[in-house]
Amino acid sequence: MANKDVKPVSMDQEIEQLTGMARDEAILAHQDKIEKEIKESTQLVSEKMPLSVLADEFKSDPVYCQKIDDLLTTHRFIRKTRGDGNCFFRAFGFAYFETLLTDKVELHRFIGIAKKSKEELILLGFPAFTLEDFHDTFMEAVRSIQDKPSLENLVETYCDQGISDYLVVYFRLLTSGELQKRADFYQDFIEGGRTVKEFCSQEVEPMSKESDHIHIIALTNALEVGIRVAYLDRGEGGKVNCHDFYEGCIPQTTLLYRPGHYDILYS
Amino acid sequence: MASQNLDPALAAAAARRKDKSCDSPNKKDGHSVSTRLQKELMSLMMKCSGKGISAFPEDDNIFKWIGTIEGPAESVYESLKYKLSLEFPSRYPHVAPTVKFVTPIFHPNVDNDGNICLDILKEKWSALYDVGSLLMSLQILLGEPNNDSPLNVQAAELWTNQAAYKKTVLEKYHKATSK
Repeated sequence: MANKDVKPVSMDQEIEQLTGMARDEAILAHQDKIEKEIKESTQLVSEKMPLSVLADEFKSDPVYCQKIDDLLTTHRFIRKTRGDGNCFFRAFGFAYFETLLTDKVELHRFIGIAKKSKEELILLGFPAFTLEDFHDTFMEAVRSIQDKPSLENLVETYCDQGISDYLVVYFRLLTSGELQKRADFYQDFIEGGRTVKEFCSQEVEPMSKESDHIHIIALTNALEVGIRVAYLDRGEGGKVNCHDFYEGCIPQTTLLYRPGHYDILYS
Repeated sequence: MASQNLDPALAAAAARRKDKSCDSPNKKDGHSVSTRLQKELMSLMMKCSGKGISAFPEDDNIFKWIGTIEGPAESVYESLKYKLSLEFPSRYPHVAPTVKFVTPIFHPNVDNDGNICLDILKEKWSALYDVGSLLMSLQILLGEPNNDSPLNVQAAELWTNQAAYKKTVLEKYHKATSK
């Protein structure tokens, strides 16, 4: 372990001494190395773990400790996701699909929405051939919940990077579709003088682009799926604040937010 | 049906490949990179005839293709055919393929080794692109170079003199293709 902590520092020093192309390449290699380390240390979606693992991680941090204690009064388990910039979509997708394992009515409703979404996205101008490829894989995953509603299956699906990333892409496309369909409404939330379309192609559709509130609002609205987000941050008061998306919803699942990352919470 | 035009040997080779998909070797069904590439191959053969673009796997390796683009009409590249190599990474389509010109080309955005400078092959790549749309973008690039960030400065500077530019293009092309 100690070795792992020391190496990146010496790497930084090496990079500092380089210039030009060599420096760019060294930085890229360093980024690859960090990505690889993240990949090796966290699964795309982990097993369900007792929430106390979080307390252990933050034991030297009084602000977080107090908030984790508060969280422990309402939640007991956590399922972690890999911090690869897709964690919101992966956490949302997994948590929601997990509820579909036992909720036939909701599953039926969702299959309807998911089926219809393909035509809607094509109408918005997404290229039919590639869109269909993502849609087909997405539908396959949803149908397998219907045919074989097992948690083990779902974990396997979400940990298989080939399929898991396809699901993330489709959730990203659904998010982009909602933003573009109601562009007049969402335009006010977009910073930096960009159009909704530009924002979608720069911040929503590409893999590994982190999600902001606007992504969450759009996706939960598009699917009419309510979620609760519990915020574990440095805010004062010692309590974990929660916020529900979309507004006025009955949350079906809870995600835990720590600055820059989303995991899944269970009571 | 285009599928009938598929070389059976190739299809068999591709099917063998499918079994050794690098991302999920033990997957029964679901998604793999080679499945996506097979679908692209089918779609290319069905939709792209007459558009001056084509692509096909090299040997029996579905992760390595050879493509051709024909220069756009009314450009200095009109009726010239260029070969390209396409290599697909294991995380395709989330990561762009590596595309290079195999036929030497005189163009502001292509260097002497065939490397291409095009935003959609780098930071603007999207999983929504496919081989067909990529080759079409490259075809457009031939007639509409980006002279602001050239890899071949000489070509960028000569672009305004279309007659001299075309002469250089043809010289390079004929020298390469007559070998």
